[in-house]
Amino acid sequence: MVRAIRGVLIECEPAIKSIIVHLDSANNDIIIEDLDETHLVVKENMVQVLKQKLDDRLKETYRPEEPLEDSE
Amino acid sequence: VVDQIRLWQLENERMRTMAGFLFKDFDSAEEYLSLSEYAEEIGVLVWKNDRKRMFFASKFEQLRDYLKSRKKAE
Repeated sequence: MVRAIRGVLIECEPAIKSIIVHLDSANNDIIIEDLDETHLVVKENMVQVLKQKLDDRLKETYRPEEPLEDSE
Repeated sequence: VVDQIRLWQLENERMRTMAGFLFKDFDSAEEYLSLSEYAEEIGVLVWKNDRKRMFFASKFEQLRDYLKSRKKAE
């Protein structure tokens, strides 16, 4: 029986996607369906949390080369 | 300010998001094809994978009505 599941489609590069998959693996509370290399569907209420976590993760990764502090 | 704009653009490129509905668990290939083609026709189809028989649509109501009328006709 066909089902329609409410969610948010995310399109991103594979590197970003693998970070999301990793974040989800802790509690399995983000991803609804892993679609392909560059697409996944996540829970609507998790998008903001996810963006925040992704920001934190990327800041950690990039801090040595490019400081994200306001340069003005 | 330029730096901030650049960061904001990066943020947008990093991840595109769109709210909608994932359609899955179709009973047959025929049912999948008919509904996904209809979704494309009315302009709500965002992503699909024929092999997985899944698609993502930005809206739900018209597709639900289409399915209902299709079931009735059978």
